[in-house]
Amino acid sequence: MEAKMQLNTLMANMFATGLLDDQFRQLQILHEGSSPDFITEIITLFCMEGEGIINDLAKLLNKPFVDFNKVDTLLYRLQGSSATVGAQRVKDTCIQFHKFCQDNTRYGCLDTLDVVRNDFYDLRSKFQIMVQLEQQVWTFYRKH
Amino acid sequence: MKDQCVGCSGGNKEGVLVEDAAVETLFHSAILHMFHCETTVAKTGKEAVDLFLEGKKFDIVLCEKEMPVMNGLEAVEKIRAIGETDVKIVGVSVDCNAMEAFMSAGADVFVPKPITLDVLSPIIQEIINKKNNAMV
Repeated sequence: MEAKMQLNTLMANMFATGLLDDQFRQLQILHEGSSPDFITEIITLFCMEGEGIINDLAKLLNKPFVDFNKVDTLLYRLQGSSATVGAQRVKDTCIQFHKFCQDNTRYGCLDTLDVVRNDFYDLRSKFQIMVQLEQQVWTFYRKH
Repeated sequence: MKDQCVGCSGGNKEGVLVEDAAVETLFHSAILHMFHCETTVAKTGKEAVDLFLEGKKFDIVLCEKEMPVMNGLEAVEKIRAIGETDVKIVGVSVDCNAMEAFMSAGADVFVPKPITLDVLSPIIQEIINKKNNAMV
């Protein structure tokens, strides 16, 4: 079944390129023991929350006076959710981001924000493809 | 792990998730569900403390450090201060340096995020064993 093969290829690529780590397999285990929509639900939630956090980080860092405590709090949130879903690259960039935050370095933070934004959008687009392929596979197996 | 019937004995288990992040709430709820643990969510440390002040009883608390209104460390201190010494409190955070603070506050164990089934399983099993021994 072509959608299944494409899904397997996509997943293999996401692990191989470091977008995902082993924690994502925890989601797969819970998916099997939980509702059929569990993975779709959690990665959709991650994408929505992540976009909001990144937008808020940009607003905070573009203020005349940066509240680095607030930036750090948002970073912990993004780091926590990305670690939970296995979003390795986003999580690792957040860790780098923390260091600039602790040094109160606005420009270091802004540069790293660009990196985390790119990593996040890359992951989000692949998650969106994953969800579409999962739905195609589910539809196929339901019919046959 | 999925074939292992964890949490099948020890009666009903009740857990509190002290967590305001939606992704982690969903994930941790699913993990506790796998261990047949009914879950109540507290979005602030204060909500968690209020649950205990209302007289509710729980077997396990998964408590995030960074929480609005009242943080997780303060919530753990207050839960212990009101005499809730039996409940298993698990401190969780992406900040690996939070372990000492959680243990000083009165947590039983600290687990860095992300939590995995392998890490939580022995903690839950300990609760089950304790409940089974209490029933004998």
